[in-house]
Amino acid sequence: MSFVRLPRIMRTASFGLAALYALLFSVSVLLLGAVVYWTVQASLDRQVTDRIDAEIDLLQQEFRSEGLQDLVREVNERTAYFPALSYLVVDANGNRLTGNLPKIPRNLGWSDIETEDTGSAVEKQFRVRSVVLGDGVRLSVGDDVGPLEEIQEAFLEALGSVLLVFLLLTLSGGLLLSRGFLSRVDEITQTAEAIIEGKLSSRVPLRGTDDHFDRLSRTLNRMLDRINALVESLSHVSAEIAHALRTPLGRLRQKLEAARADATRSGQNETLIDAAVAETDTILDTFSALLRIAQIEAATRYRGFRQLDLSALFNTVADAYSTAAEDEGKQLVAEVEPGLLIWGDRDLLAEMLANLLDNAIRHTPKGTRIELSLKKQGSKLLASVADSGPGIPAEDRKNVFRRFYRLERSRTTPGNGLGLALVAAVAELHCIELRLDDNAPGLRITLAFEAHQTEEQTLSKQPGDESARIVRAVSNWR
Amino acid sequence: MRVLIVEDDAETAAYIVDGLKQGGHVADHVADGRDALFLATSNPYDVIVVDRMLPGLEGLALVKTIRGSGVQTPVLFLTARGGIDDRVAGLDAGGDDYLVKPFAFSELNARLAALARRPPLAQAETRLRVADLEIDLLSRRVKRGALNIDLQPREFRLLEYLMRNVDRVVTRTMLLEHVWEFHFDPKTKIVETHISRLRSKLNQGAARELIHTVRGSGYVIRAPS
Repeated sequence: MSFVRLPRIMRTASFGLAALYALLFSVSVLLLGAVVYWTVQASLDRQVTDRIDAEIDLLQQEFRSEGLQDLVREVNERTAYFPALSYLVVDANGNRLTGNLPKIPRNLGWSDIETEDTGSAVEKQFRVRSVVLGDGVRLSVGDDVGPLEEIQEAFLEALGSVLLVFLLLTLSGGLLLSRGFLSRVDEITQTAEAIIEGKLSSRVPLRGTDDHFDRLSRTLNRMLDRINALVESLSHVSAEIAHALRTPLGRLRQKLEAARADATRSGQNETLIDAAVAETDTILDTFSALLRIAQIEAATRYRGFRQLDLSALFNTVADAYSTAAEDEGKQLVAEVEPGLLIWGDRDLLAEMLANLLDNAIRHTPKGTRIELSLKKQGSKLLASVADSGPGIPAEDRKNVFRRFYRLERSRTTPGNGLGLALVAAVAELHCIELRLDDNAPGLRITLAFEAHQTEEQTLSKQPGDESARIVRAVSNWR
Repeated sequence: MRVLIVEDDAETAAYIVDGLKQGGHVADHVADGRDALFLATSNPYDVIVVDRMLPGLEGLALVKTIRGSGVQTPVLFLTARGGIDDRVAGLDAGGDDYLVKPFAFSELNARLAALARRPPLAQAETRLRVADLEIDLLSRRVKRGALNIDLQPREFRLLEYLMRNVDRVVTRTMLLEHVWEFHFDPKTKIVETHISRLRSKLNQGAARELIHTVRGSGYVIRAPS
C-alpha cells in the first residue's frame, strides 16, 4: 500500500513544497552555521594569541630587567599558581630549564604541539609561541586548545542534529499534509466515480471545517444538485410531453377513423376533418410552446432587448383584454403609473403579461374582478395581476410554474399547462422576481422588476462577443 | 399573382405551389439560394417566399443580396423555428413579413396577398372608403353614411388595417401583429371580441354588414355586392 502510495504522495504539490522548503531552510541553516562557526573560532583564536602575546611580553621584560634566574623563578611560580597557560624555558644548548610544556617546540614563532599518545593521560593540544630572549635562551608559552576544539565539535554536532531533525519534521509534515489533501481529492474522485456508475445521489462528504476543500466540495455538491434537478425535470418533462400528446393524438386518430368510415357522407366528413385539424393544431401549439420556453430558457438571446415603455405595454395589453374579459362576464381593471421604462424584450414581456391575463380570465368564474397594476416602489417596479377567483392552494403555488402542471380543478379547461411555465421563463430572462400570494379571496401574482433592470446595467447583458458567437452558432444549426 | 418560392424541403414547396396554383396564381419553385438570387433579380415577381435555411446561400443573406441589387419585391420569410429574435433578424435583413412553420395555407395566402398588392411606396392617403364607410386618417374620424361613429383608438387601428386591405382576407394573426403588435397567440379571444365591438358600432341603425368572417381564415371588409 505505502509502496504504491509513496511515489504518488511525492508527486503531490504539497510534498514538493515541503521538500523545497526543507532544502531552502537547510541551506540557510548551514550558511548561518558556517558564519557563526568561523566567527566564534576566529574570536577564540584571537583570545588565545592575545593572552600568549601578553604573557611573553611580560616575561621578556622580566628577563631583560632581572635576568635568567628571576625568569626561571617567575615561570616556576606561574606554572604552580596559574595553570591556565603552559611554559617552557630552554637554554642555548636545548636543555629544559623549567616549564610544563610536554615538548620543546621545534620552531620559533607560532606552532602547534601535541602530547605523546601515552594512553593513560588525556591527549592535549597546545598552541605555542616561542621567542629567543637573549644568550640563546628560548621562551615558549602555550595554551591548551583542547576545550576550544571541543566547543567547535559540539557546535557542529548540534548544527547537524538540528538539521536532521528539521529535515525529518518538514518531510514527514509534508507527507502528512499531502496525505490529508490526497484523501480529500480521493473523496471527490470516489464521488465522481459513484456518479458515473449511476449513484446520482452521491455527494462529496463535508468535514465542516469551512476550508478550501469544504468550500470546493460544497460548490461541487450544489452543482450536482442543480444537475440532478435538471435531469429530473428533463425526464419529468419528457414523460409529461408523452402524456400531454397522447390525448389529442388519440382523438385525432378517432376522428380520422370516423372520417374514413364516413367517406361517403361528405357533409359530416368535413366537420370531422375540421375537428382533426383542430386537434393537430393543439399538438402543434404544445410543441411550439415547449420550443419557445426552451429557447427563452437558453437565455443567450438578448437581441430583442430594447428600452421600452412598460406602462404603455401594460396599457396595450390591458386594453386588448378588457373587452374580452367583459365578454366572458369578468371585469378587468388596470391601474398603471405612466412613463415607467425598462430594458427588455417587448414581444416576450407582452406574451408574459398576456399569459397571466389569459390565466386569470380562464380559470375564474363569471363576475370575477381582475386587477392589473404597475407602479414604481422605491427603486423597483412592481406589477401585479390579482383576481377574486378561487385562487391556488398554498401547497400548489410552487408547482404552477412547472411545465404541464395543472391544478386538479382546471384539468377540464382547455390548455396545455405551459402558460405559466412560459411566464416563469420570461421572468427569469428579465430577472423578474415572481411571487404568488393569496388575494383573499383569489390569486395575486406579483412581478418585481429589479431596480437595476430599469437602467443601464441590463445593458451589460447585451450579447458580447461570446454570446454573439453562441447566437450565431444557434442560427447555423438546422 | 406571380410568386417565387425558395424552399429546400420538397414537400413544403409542393404544398405551397399546389395551393397557389389552385388559387389561380403562378408559382416558381427553386431549392437553392443561388438559383433564387438569379430568378429574383431577373423576373418581376409580385412576392418572394424565402425559407430561412437554404443550401447554397442562407435565407437572410439571400434577401440582403436581393435588396442590395435594388429589387424591392416584397419578401416573406418562412422558418421552422419559432425563434424569439428570428422575426427581428428577418425584418432587419429586408424581409417584409415572417411566418413560422407549420402554418395553415390560408394564413400564408392571406399574407402573400397583403404583401403582393401593397403599393411599392406607401401613398399618402388620408381617407379610406368602403361602400358608405369612410375614415379620415388625419382627423381619425369615422363616418358611416351621415352617421358619425365614435371608435376607441385600438378599434380605429383595427378598422384602418381592414380597410387598407379591402377585399382581402386578413387573418387573426395578422391583426394581432399589426393592430396590437402581439407576436404570439393569446388564449383569450381578443380579436373576436374587438371585431364584434367594431361591427356593432359600424352597424348602428341596422346598416348592412361590411366586415365578413371567412371561416378558418380570418376577416375581410368589402362593399355589399
